[in-house]
Amino acid sequence: MMLQLEGILQALNAGLLLGAHYGLMCVGLSLIFGIMRVINFAHGDFMMLGMYVAFHLFTLLGLQMVFGSAAGPFIAALLAGPVLFLFGYIAQRFLISRVTGTRIGSLEGEGHYAQLILTLGLSLILQSGGQILFGSVPVSIPSDISSTAWELELAGGDVVVFVNQARAVGALIAVAVVALLVLFIGRSRLGKSMRAAADNVQAALYMGLDVDRAHRITFGLGIGVTAIAGGLLASSYPFTPYVGLEYVIIMYAGVVLGGLGSTLGAFWGGLLIGVIQQGSALLLPTQLQNTAIFVVFLLVVFLRPQGLLGRSAERT
Amino acid sequence: MLEIEDLQAGYGGSPVLKGVSLSVGEGEFISVVGPNGAGKTTLFKAVSGTVRPSAGRIRFGGTDLAEVPVAKRPHLGIAHVPEGRQLFPSLTVMENLEMGASTAAGQRDWARNLARVLDWFPILAERRNQLAGTLSGGQQQMVAVARGLTSAPKLLMLDEPSMGLAPAMAEFIFARLVEIHRESRLTILLVEQRVAEALEFADRGYVLEAGRIVLEGTHAVLSADDRVRQAYLGM
Ligand SMILES: Nc1ncnc2c1ncn2[C@@H]1O[C@H](COP(=O)(O)OP(=O)(O)OP(=O)(O)O)[C@@H](O)[C@H]1O
Ligand SMILES: [Mg+2]
Repeated sequence: MMLQLEGILQALNAGLLLGAHYGLMCVGLSLIFGIMRVINFAHGDFMMLGMYVAFHLFTLLGLQMVFGSAAGPFIAALLAGPVLFLFGYIAQRFLISRVTGTRIGSLEGEGHYAQLILTLGLSLILQSGGQILFGSVPVSIPSDISSTAWELELAGGDVVVFVNQARAVGALIAVAVVALLVLFIGRSRLGKSMRAAADNVQAALYMGLDVDRAHRITFGLGIGVTAIAGGLLASSYPFTPYVGLEYVIIMYAGVVLGGLGSTLGAFWGGLLIGVIQQGSALLLPTQLQNTAIFVVFLLVVFLRPQGLLGRSAERT
Repeated sequence: MLEIEDLQAGYGGSPVLKGVSLSVGEGEFISVVGPNGAGKTTLFKAVSGTVRPSAGRIRFGGTDLAEVPVAKRPHLGIAHVPEGRQLFPSLTVMENLEMGASTAAGQRDWARNLARVLDWFPILAERRNQLAGTLSGGQQQMVAVARGLTSAPKLLMLDEPSMGLAPAMAEFIFARLVEIHRESRLTILLVEQRVAEALEFADRGYVLEAGRIVLEGTHAVLSADDRVRQAYLGM
């Protein structure tokens, strides 16, 4: 009995910690897919790029020396954010803007095919480019605390739960970034104009908003935030240039679960996926963990297509 | 304030406006009426820049608008309340109004303008935190007008504000426009299919048919015209 309880709590703890990382990733995608309604196939590959940026900041650029190998990996992950923001900003400026925003204004449906093809191409380029540049040997950014754990004694010491320190710190950072971002999108003038520009391009122009700039910032933020999540994960998981494929489906599932267009919802969606994934490990063999995610995902889509937390404001 | 000379515009080669001239003076309330597809919306889009004229000139307060990109025009003082309202549905009522106040003048006078707008449309104060996409049609139209006003414009352009509204609601909106015009002396350019009301409240009116102005004048002149009486006023 105690053993079972211990197993469940252990899985819940692992699920929540990992889920917070997923949640951060999903929040990044929700800016692009949920708010801007751009189908970005390359989102996972941008994350991969973020992970390698964090890796090289840590090793080559001396973050390891400056901050030590306990804090260094986390600082590298945070710094990958602004670097990838810039990358996303530029990608939107020169590529994605050709299939979104003011250019298509009225051609909603037709825009999506072009987005699919463009971002799929981008995804392939990033993957093979990554392989040429970084090689295909898995790397990681281990922190000194990656394999240490806090022991939580519950029920008078009968139940012990191990909390991995690196993942706990990563989860805290993820929650903090999500909180800041939700405040920014919800409260700041720039955040509101980003949502307005995504809601209705033409009306945003009639208000005198700089729509293209709003789209560039939204795209950059979406990529940057996901890159931070990737960097944080890299302290626990090794990765290769193809790591994006493993996560991109989780990200889309999380965004849809949380309800398209809701930034905070995407976080809950990601968190839920983490819990399902780790929880299913109690019952299912590891290979079937992702199957469990999809069963739940399909159930939600079937029973509650607006997402678990979806609001139903009509968009035109 | 607004001078349009021999304006021609269309979509991908098919001309819609075939030489339209009209002028709006400071403080005037001008109505443009005409049948479906006459080019009224196209005329407004040419002024706010989402349709590019193929010939002719549009001047606003002495500035040639051909030189001014779309997103800069609101900052000159042109507020376009578009056909079909075009709100930001996933933003709240308040956030929609804030987006209206993106101009320098709108930012500066935000508090005062907001108070006035909520005075004219009190229901919006009650609904301030509701998502605009979940409002009724009439309330959405109020947000659209209010969003135009919070930009503190010199010219308010309204494209069929009564479209799709119940008669009582349409009358309410018209009454407000008249009140707004009277109290603030704001210059208003109105496009309408409800010809009787549109001409009644306006200082002057234009009749646009198939891309051409076929008639212009004061309410008295237009409503004395046999063609207007037959075609639009049902007399
Ligand atoms: N985006 C567009 N692309 C191509 N043609 C268009 C477009 N918008 C309007 N048109 C055509 O241009 C003509 C004028 O349209 P416009 O919308 O300006 O008329 P309107 O006077 O505003 O009519 P309504 O009273 O129905 O609003 C119509 O024949 C219409 O079919
Ligand atoms: Mg029209």
